[in-house]
Amino acid sequence: MPDPPARDEDLVRRYLSGDRAAFAALVERHERRVYNLALRMTGREEDARDATQDAFLTVLRKLSSFRGEAAFTTWLHRVTVNACYDLLRKRQRAPLLERGEDDLPALEPPPAPDHADASSLSMDVQQALLQVPEDFRAVMILHDVHDLRQEEVAAIVGVPIGTVKSRLHRGRIALARAMGIEQQGRFSEDPEGPPSSGGSPGAAPGASRSGERADAAGPSEGTVSP
Amino acid sequence: MSHPEDLLADYVGGTLDERERAAVDAHLPGCARCSAEVRQAEAARAALSELEDVPVPFGVTGPVLAEAGRRFERRPGVAWGRFQWAAGLAAAAAVVAVVALNVGGEDAQNAAAPERTTAVAGGTGAAGGAEAAAPGVTFGGLERQTDVNYDEAGIQAVASEAAGAIVEAGDARGSQAAFATSAEDSKERTSLAKECVDRSGVRGPNDVLIRLIEAQFEGTAAFIGVFSEGPGAGQAPDHVVVFVVAKDDCRILSTASQRIPSG
Repeated sequence: MPDPPARDEDLVRRYLSGDRAAFAALVERHERRVYNLALRMTGREEDARDATQDAFLTVLRKLSSFRGEAAFTTWLHRVTVNACYDLLRKRQRAPLLERGEDDLPALEPPPAPDHADASSLSMDVQQALLQVPEDFRAVMILHDVHDLRQEEVAAIVGVPIGTVKSRLHRGRIALARAMGIEQQGRFSEDPEGPPSSGGSPGAAPGASRSGERADAAGPSEGTVSP
Repeated sequence: MSHPEDLLADYVGGTLDERERAAVDAHLPGCARCSAEVRQAEAARAALSELEDVPVPFGVTGPVLAEAGRRFERRPGVAWGRFQWAAGLAAAAAVVAVVALNVGGEDAQNAAAPERTTAVAGGTGAAGGAEAAAPGVTFGGLERQTDVNYDEAGIQAVASEAAGAIVEAGDARGSQAAFATSAEDSKERTSLAKECVDRSGVRGPNDVLIRLIEAQFEGTAAFIGVFSEGPGAGQAPDHVVVFVVAKDDCRILSTASQRIPSG
């Protein structure tokens, strides 16, 4: 395309006013970011695929009610993170239904990353990342991997910026511990220590998702579901 | 100084202002806990910065774009045809024989419901299976729900409900089920609704009508057609698809699909 790149919000408007290619342009522009966010959040290529599709389908469904109160990318990230949460939740439930009680290991190991082209270093980091509770993981990935500003992360996740800072710090410590980087410290004396790295997402202090979770629906929904 | 908890994330990120940084620098040598945390956080941050983007595997967003195309087609004033739907919904796009709607149940309730036979072209013999593949859920006539306003979630719920009913009927072999039909149903209205859904061009060759609802969709008077969809050749249906068409000009308003869980 010879034209200068259109803003996301303009592409949204163009799609809504009948330009079919505008949505494809939006997808093409953001799919890499969405997919990689999902891959880091879920640790599995298959889950990243599903979450990417779920996120874009949600965007498609809600696009007509997107009013531009938030930047499109903020909204897209929020929808993606929520798609990952939903998928991780499903994955957590599914094995319990499909297996007999006897087969259950004492502690569910994190799913192994299955993308073939990652270096062994990033595989190790990814493995460790999966042991960090989801709310902390999301903030770390958005800020430390995707280089989003804390203000934007706060808007995406739907928490105050102080909470972002705190999750960032606690999440990093949890990640370091999951990678086996133990430093001499007095964590045992700290009742508000770093989130557990024992693979129990959501168990971290202060990580009450139900109260803090960003609204998956994004823009307002009008009609009733019978 | 108490532990400067709230500054440590930005300290590690290098975004503190000079005064705050100096305060943390002054605190760290005397505090084993904060020093340890900073070292760990720095190590973690360095590890995260090593993570590189991977390319998106081929085909990930294909279904999304296909769905976008389908939705686009429902816009008023946009010319569209069956071909696009066929390409999107049925892998084998050849136009094969479309057998009559599955009106077995309807015959029982509504004696004169007209059987409609649509195009037969280039048939492969597979189409004959559509009837045989019909699930134990049969069409029970037009349901009038004109005071109900569906939205996308509602349409998806209709698809899920139908898939559930098909599974249930499959479990109780031989039994026939039908969705409730309204007493106000008339065969003229039913055939009008069917024709409208058909005219919209959305039905695939192996789609079997199992439910037809007259209602509103996001404020627009609409017919909602619920179909079971299968691979043909006598095989069991594997999806439920729902098409919502505007009552006034039969243009497509929305669609939903739901996989039927296999046995």
